[in-house]
Amino acid sequence: MLVFVLFGVTLCTFFMSHVIPGDPAQMMAGPHASADTIRSIRRQLGLDRPLWVQYGTYLWGLLHGDLGVSIRTQQPVIHDLAAFFPATLELVLYAFLLAIVTGIPLGVLAAVKRNTVWDYAARVVSLGGVSVPVFWSGLVLILLFYARLGWLPASGRLDPSLPPPPTITGLYTVDSALTGYWADFFNSLWHLVLPAVTLSYVQLSIIVRQVRSSMLEVLGKEFILTGRANGLGRGFLIVRYALRNALVPTITVIGLSIGSLLGGAVVTETVFDWPGMGNYVVQSIASLDFPAIMGFTVVIGAAYVLINLVVDLLHYALDPQIRR
Amino acid sequence: MKTCDETRSKRKRIGLSLAAVCLVSGLSLVGCGSNPPSANQAGGTAPAGAATDPTTLTVAMPADEGTLDPAVTMDNAAWKITYPCYERLVKYDGDKTTVTYDLATSYTVSSDGKKYLFTLREGDKFPDGTPVDANAVKFTFDRLMKINKGPAGDFEELQAVKVIDPTHVEFDLKYPFPAFVSALAANYASIVDPKVMEHEVNGDMGQSYLATHTMGSGPYQLAEWKKGQYLKLTLNPAYQGAKPKLQTVYFQIIGDASSERLQLEKGQVDIAEGIPADQLKSLSSESGITVVDKPSMLVDYVYLNVGKGNPALKDKRVRQAISYAIDYQGIIQSSQAGNATQMRGPIPQGLWGHDDSAFQYSYQPDKAKALLQQAGVGHLTLTLLYSDHMPWWPSEALAIQSNLQQVGIEVKLQNVEYATERQMLDQGQFDLALGVWSPDYADPYMFMNFWFDSKNFGLAGNRAFYSNPQVDSLIRQAGSVSDQDQRTKLYQDAQKIVIDDAPYVYLYQKNYMLPMRTNVHGFVYNPMLEQIYNLAEMSKS
Repeated sequence: MLVFVLFGVTLCTFFMSHVIPGDPAQMMAGPHASADTIRSIRRQLGLDRPLWVQYGTYLWGLLHGDLGVSIRTQQPVIHDLAAFFPATLELVLYAFLLAIVTGIPLGVLAAVKRNTVWDYAARVVSLGGVSVPVFWSGLVLILLFYARLGWLPASGRLDPSLPPPPTITGLYTVDSALTGYWADFFNSLWHLVLPAVTLSYVQLSIIVRQVRSSMLEVLGKEFILTGRANGLGRGFLIVRYALRNALVPTITVIGLSIGSLLGGAVVTETVFDWPGMGNYVVQSIASLDFPAIMGFTVVIGAAYVLINLVVDLLHYALDPQIRR
Repeated sequence: MKTCDETRSKRKRIGLSLAAVCLVSGLSLVGCGSNPPSANQAGGTAPAGAATDPTTLTVAMPADEGTLDPAVTMDNAAWKITYPCYERLVKYDGDKTTVTYDLATSYTVSSDGKKYLFTLREGDKFPDGTPVDANAVKFTFDRLMKINKGPAGDFEELQAVKVIDPTHVEFDLKYPFPAFVSALAANYASIVDPKVMEHEVNGDMGQSYLATHTMGSGPYQLAEWKKGQYLKLTLNPAYQGAKPKLQTVYFQIIGDASSERLQLEKGQVDIAEGIPADQLKSLSSESGITVVDKPSMLVDYVYLNVGKGNPALKDKRVRQAISYAIDYQGIIQSSQAGNATQMRGPIPQGLWGHDDSAFQYSYQPDKAKALLQQAGVGHLTLTLLYSDHMPWWPSEALAIQSNLQQVGIEVKLQNVEYATERQMLDQGQFDLALGVWSPDYADPYMFMNFWFDSKNFGLAGNRAFYSNPQVDSLIRQAGSVSDQDQRTKLYQDAQKIVIDDAPYVYLYQKNYMLPMRTNVHGFVYNPMLEQIYNLAEMSKS
């Protein structure tokens, strides 16, 4: 399945990116290149061959783990992506944790305290999240916390004056904690706050709504009433029985949210100058760097498919009915 | 039941994910690419010590670099890194557009103008000990021609480079090319350490390695590049010249202009590129900040597609009418906040060959209407092609639209991706289009021969698809004789014709404006080295 989806992704992206007007050779050749120079670059890049031959060559390379060489940076795409991926992963991971850690309790709270001020507050928060675009909320946060209050940095992963921690995972917070670079640890955590909050907001809202409605559904079930009648504590019932049942549909939403986080990172990274894959692909798109655009899409596509797999496995673990 | 639902939902999910990924990539393809480099992002913190340490300079720039290989990159933004890391045979002299010696100590030209013999300085070495000699010069140009990408296009006249002895190197040209020495001062002509071949992968002549490293003999070298974050230059220990005062230079990537401004105000960065002109006026009045403001050679103009556009444009009177319909001062105010000068013919002020007495069109809508009437043009509809490549183009396009509307020409705006615009320009699929141009070397050849020679149709330079045998003959002659007075005369004769023929609307020459802290000293702006810093002579207090 994974292979088919990825095949579809490469097919769509390859032909979409190649049929839109524009020629990377013209972009690369400089502002006033002669026709000869452009022709020579097209030949070097292999762009003079028929499209299906180019696609075949690309797929053949892909099967051998070769994503090609970036036109803009002249580096193997896999190296470029490897350089940028940890930054994206770190951002997505923190945004994801933030969305779960705040989203689930908030959803439970909204369901349990249904139609109270808590519920309304949660609704306002989540409505804001789904309706406000990321680039806008990001800019508002920058204006407030960086420009006005000066509390938080607005861009980058680390102050350039600090030497980055030795690379183990590529995640600055993890690497610095493992190697005892505490100045880096706090500095990188500090840099993560605004982009992670911005990125998590949309997903947080979706999780709140999902948890709330699943919880309400479960809380109305007979087994909860039975438990209540048998004298089980309310808190115990909510956490042990209601939440566990409500989590099954929520997991699907959460799983898909990681995918959306990866996609959403493109905008967030641009707003916060976060040196991740999103930033990289935006620059690649501007110079029609096909191999880089393809590489990014393949990696995101693969991540999406893998996440779906994990979601299914989690369902299996959480829901005895599927196991049966 | 459940499993059936599961399968269905799984199928749906995979379908959804596929659609989402396609959508993400698709949307980004059509949408994000149009972002102007300086108008969409936000960011920022700087090296903590930047404000206080007088040996460290921090420059904020709006975007990360692509390749840094001098034989590949055509991007001025990359030159600000490479230019101080390499040396060339000649260099631009201070703020002048004439050249002086760098690695060379003298040169002679043969009487037919086809052989240049350079004598090189002795004793220079690359950081790895390799001598900077005639072999390195030959290697550099052989490599450039063999790689045959954009920069090679600027040396089309070059036939061969011969090593006479370690300090003498001869350039043989296919035809006399008087701008040759000026071209040797450009970034492409940076002398590269031949040892780069040790880093060759798959016959790329070290392109992959030099994309992220520097191997030159200039005062600085690239010490570190944190992709998407900053580039750090440190002193080249092998450099023979006077030791620069700035020992470390950070080029920090801050996408958002307002964020750059804040950091400049706080003193976290010393120089900030990419702040729009309308903010610079208020910035220059702040204490601790000064704004460099000099005329540049970047010109902004409109292509009138004479050859392949609307047939009405073949009539000289229609083209002249368009030139008279434009409110030049209004556009300079609205799109450059007044920081530009109206052009007087194609060759900009500050470059030899510029003619102060040349005819200059002015805003005369009535005259434009009369000319259109003479040409018998009733209702005329033209397309105006542009992109977001220059942040001021969208507003400029609107201004031109309304100017032409006043004389009865309807303009349909066509805003496309920059990459698309380039393709359409090359194929001549437009009536009018916005463009900018800046010279690679300080010679009117860069304007006259590129813009008007009928051999250069399309992207190569003649974007008006304009052909006039008399002009061809004048500029080709001017491009081959070596006497500068004679060349000036020929170019000025040709200019008179092309101003009258009006295949372009010569709009304005933009000012170069750069805000920096007042404690940064010694910056010299050379119009040929836009975005490039003379780091070795600069200092901080």
